[in-house]
Amino acid sequence: MSEDKSLGPFLEAVKELDIKYDTAPIDQEYSTFAGVGAEPLDFKSYAKDIPCQAACPAKTRVPHYIQALAEGNPDKAYLINQEDNVFSGVLGRVCSRPCEDGCRHNWTDINGPVHICHLKRGASDLKTSKPEPLPAWFEETGKRVAVIGGGPSGLTAARELRRYGHSVTIFERDKVLGGMMVQGIPIFRLPRETVAEEVKAIIDSGIDVKLNTSVDAEMMQQVIDEYDSVLVSVGTVHASNLKLPGLPDDGHAVSGLKFMHDYNMGDIEDGSMTGQNVIIVGGGFTAVDCARSCARAALRLVGEEGTVTIVYRRTAGQMAAKYDEIEEMGVENIHIETLMNPHSARVENGKLVGVSFQRNALEDVTSEVGKPRVRAIEGTEEEFPCDLLIVAIGQTRTLNILPEGIHQNEGDGHATSHEKVFMSGDFNYGSLDVITAVQDGKDAAEKIDTSLMGRKRRQKHIAIEMTEVNGETGRVRDHDLQLPPLMPTLPLGQRDGIAEVELGHDLEALQVHATRCYWCQNKFEIDHDKCIHCNWCIEVTPRDCINKVSRLFYDEDDFVETSLETDLNHEATYIWIDSKECIRCGKCLRICPTSAITMRKTELCGCSTEEFEEKKSHNQAYGTVAHAKY
Amino acid sequence: MQWRLDKRRVSEEEQLKDNGLTLDFDEVARKGALGGGEKLLSKWYGIYGSRHPGAHMARVVIPGGVVTSSQARRIVQVAEDYGQGKISITTRQCIQFHWLKAPALADMLRDLAKDNLSCFHGCGDVTRNVVACPLAETCQYKRINVLPYAKETAKALTAMRDLDNLPRKFKINFSGCGAGCGQPFINCIGAIAVTRKNESGEEETGFKVVIGGGMGWEAFIGKELFAFVPPGRIAAVNRAIALLFRDNGDRRDRTQSRLKFVVEKKGIEFCREVVIDFLEKENVSLDGFVFTDAVEDLGVPYPDRPLLEPNPVGTDGLVTVRVMVPKGEITHPQMKRMAQLTEEFGDKRLFFTQRQNIEIHGVKPEKVETLSGEIKKAGFATEGFFGLQDMVACVGSTYCPKAVTETRALFDILHPVVKNPKYSEIWDKAYINITGCPNSCSPYRIADIGFRGMRIREQIGSVEAYEIRIGGEHNRLGRLLGEYKLSDCARIVETILDTFLKERQGDETLAQCVNRVSAQEGVK
Repeated sequence: MSEDKSLGPFLEAVKELDIKYDTAPIDQEYSTFAGVGAEPLDFKSYAKDIPCQAACPAKTRVPHYIQALAEGNPDKAYLINQEDNVFSGVLGRVCSRPCEDGCRHNWTDINGPVHICHLKRGASDLKTSKPEPLPAWFEETGKRVAVIGGGPSGLTAARELRRYGHSVTIFERDKVLGGMMVQGIPIFRLPRETVAEEVKAIIDSGIDVKLNTSVDAEMMQQVIDEYDSVLVSVGTVHASNLKLPGLPDDGHAVSGLKFMHDYNMGDIEDGSMTGQNVIIVGGGFTAVDCARSCARAALRLVGEEGTVTIVYRRTAGQMAAKYDEIEEMGVENIHIETLMNPHSARVENGKLVGVSFQRNALEDVTSEVGKPRVRAIEGTEEEFPCDLLIVAIGQTRTLNILPEGIHQNEGDGHATSHEKVFMSGDFNYGSLDVITAVQDGKDAAEKIDTSLMGRKRRQKHIAIEMTEVNGETGRVRDHDLQLPPLMPTLPLGQRDGIAEVELGHDLEALQVHATRCYWCQNKFEIDHDKCIHCNWCIEVTPRDCINKVSRLFYDEDDFVETSLETDLNHEATYIWIDSKECIRCGKCLRICPTSAITMRKTELCGCSTEEFEEKKSHNQAYGTVAHAKY
Repeated sequence: MQWRLDKRRVSEEEQLKDNGLTLDFDEVARKGALGGGEKLLSKWYGIYGSRHPGAHMARVVIPGGVVTSSQARRIVQVAEDYGQGKISITTRQCIQFHWLKAPALADMLRDLAKDNLSCFHGCGDVTRNVVACPLAETCQYKRINVLPYAKETAKALTAMRDLDNLPRKFKINFSGCGAGCGQPFINCIGAIAVTRKNESGEEETGFKVVIGGGMGWEAFIGKELFAFVPPGRIAAVNRAIALLFRDNGDRRDRTQSRLKFVVEKKGIEFCREVVIDFLEKENVSLDGFVFTDAVEDLGVPYPDRPLLEPNPVGTDGLVTVRVMVPKGEITHPQMKRMAQLTEEFGDKRLFFTQRQNIEIHGVKPEKVETLSGEIKKAGFATEGFFGLQDMVACVGSTYCPKAVTETRALFDILHPVVKNPKYSEIWDKAYINITGCPNSCSPYRIADIGFRGMRIREQIGSVEAYEIRIGGEHNRLGRLLGEYKLSDCARIVETILDTFLKERQGDETLAQCVNRVSAQEGVK
């Protein structure tokens, strides 16, 4: 606040005293108070403010769509998802949910994190119209791009390239698009209509599709010659093999990948496996989802008399499956044997009858994958009856699709030694999950566009908008105490292996889940020049979120890394809101006598570089910005 | 239970209030402490928390600031028995005891009641102590003795159970003339006595009513609601304004709920309509009201600051002798002595003023000197009132949990500065208010020099500092001079006073000088 200039001689006399203070700098967590933030500081602060979005590989605007759902607008929620993660109906069912690990609700011990994945699915279930192609960003460029492989990564890249204005052709080996989404994931977890709907929204934007077209190195060379750019995203389709003494090479064991493909495509005859004992070997990071799906699929096929067993060489704690998944498998009568390694197989009359396993001990040494190394214990072999051995110990990519001389560049994702050829998805980095593949497809599309057009045509920034709602987000503290309804599931007796097991929430239940979310896109911050250190905000905080700090420690981008707290008034340089702890209740803003605390809305946005420069020059992503309450 | 988004939200305090306002201090005594929700409810009974854990503060409601000597003796006994012997005089004519323990509160309230003293509605979202100018009864400039009207309003509004749950506190002031000794323009209601000629040409006295004034972070000067209200209906008007506030105040945000925000946001015309509507509903005749027309005040002309007069002689020929209580703090033996003195020399009553001083009324002129001598013996000064030495400081971080700064420290720093004889000619031309937080218990914005506590950060850490405003008057807000550390405040006050010595013309007060200079600067 500036002094009253009209005080004339009084002011001059006081100024003559020449009183100057050496004051600590104002610390602000974004490079601009409101408007466009595109400095490294902005992205760092944003990631700290919204941990779920930061944890999402595709950087889905999680709190934004959850708020839309809370307001009863599933269409808006779906659109946000469609923009950010492309396959929201699919991911709402099968996502590996890194966001939920980041959720601030993990700390409360009240009902765990917000069920972000279920909310995403809810938006997809309740939207009032079928998904439509998203509008293009740029005019037609006349460039032609070929995408090899119609899986999540290839489809995403195709959509983005189309929006960049290029014409796109997808080459797909199989009879349907979708890749692992239709081949790998069991049908009872992911209805194929959901996949088809979302794939259609991509294809309808004007993409050529060549189904049943297997591309080898020779054809690849033709494609490279014919198109301006080629993206290879054929995934990891080569299942790792298990060499077992006594096991003939000719198909007594089947890979998890093949089994799931046949199962999902309906190629396994009903009744052909009844009463069999099935053993699945696997449990590592890349295989566990497949292994578990195999187990559930197999269980349906073998019926009451058969048994299904998963054997893993380390302990359950090292499996990629979470504890609740392991429990669920118990409910479904799937046995889990740990610390065992396949040792040998026994074949009688040309038929597999048993596999013996050797016990393992964990060593203190950590292997290169970050888990303890295992050591087989001699003389502990034990045979399990087995009619079918499913091996799900990992998948690798087959690089022979690339013509000779083309190889992946070291350290530079997507690009290869050939300037026209790029790679994305599992084929780029090894087998991971759908959400990572989606983001990789987006990144690859951006790289291809940059290489085709010679410059970066889109830009990311944080839009920061001042709000005038007096700290009221629409949510109250009591929303924390709500009991979130459980996901309704199909009764065990009705689980026929085709019908979807998780049934989805209705809107009312979704709103209960959605209002649990703290809506971390709202940023509360203290203007240190207005703060008078009255501590009233500290008095009303529900958590340890506002503190007196004597020092803030910055990194090279002026991002606050740590702070030194103090209880003493005279040591307090700042009264500081730690946005990590802030639950966006707005109490501090309302109590602040000097209007030093503001609530701003932040959102990660993308736009064309021209539009970005325009916005940046006005520094106003949104209308006018007023600082004070009045 | 599930919460819906569309549920009407109110503040947590409002939810607690909805559960009822009953609190049994005997139960508190049995439990030994106040529970979570009880801390809020205890305010309705005049009990606050303190900065010191386990200690409580009680505020005794004293309408018009007048107590009989026996009540004063009761205050002495309570202070001695429960409050470590300390008594604080507030800026709204109440008495406060600090250092009370929760188990003793019930007995303390019972003791007070023996002499018809009460803490009920001392704090909380109710009509607070009704204030009147201290010289109400005998002032030679008064249009009417406002003390009976203040007491009538206090009694009526405190007894009305439909006014127990207002959105926030509600403050009423009565002033005997337009000089503003009672600070009517910074209260929710200011009732200012005026004498006018009515339609039939007769002189009649009544009240001008201003509403919506208030200090705090967003300060407002009251706006005129009615130009003239016949005196017999002022309590009814006050009730109607309370009803306006009850129904229109913001119950979602306590920082925006005072009547000043209702007036600011909805406009004075809206408020007038609602008040008239309530008056009509309650069958209060509007005859003789003047709503908006200008009313000419025919009473004796009053000086700018009537209270400056030393030992004023009242209309009854008797003298008022004042006791300057530094920082408003007085010990129980001193208070006892004051009670004895008023019994011996005065009208057996003590008056507490808004500048935290004590007045003894009804002293025979020939006894004034003796009385002054006795007062000095008790350790108090008897001159310099309403001037530079008569500084008002809120309790600050000594007791108050809300305060940012230790206002008493600034008081002690400034006292030697203003006592400097070079300022003797302007001792009665300015006064200083010091408040420890934006709540402005000591209304710093209407003082010639006003200080509001804050902290200024250094490279590491922060120090006590003050926002300084100059040029405030009872109906005009001060202008911002700057924000300075405590260590610089003394030389800044010195500079302001030196500049004032240089710039002053005639008999100007500091505020008048500042505003004249300021108007000239505006012309430039």
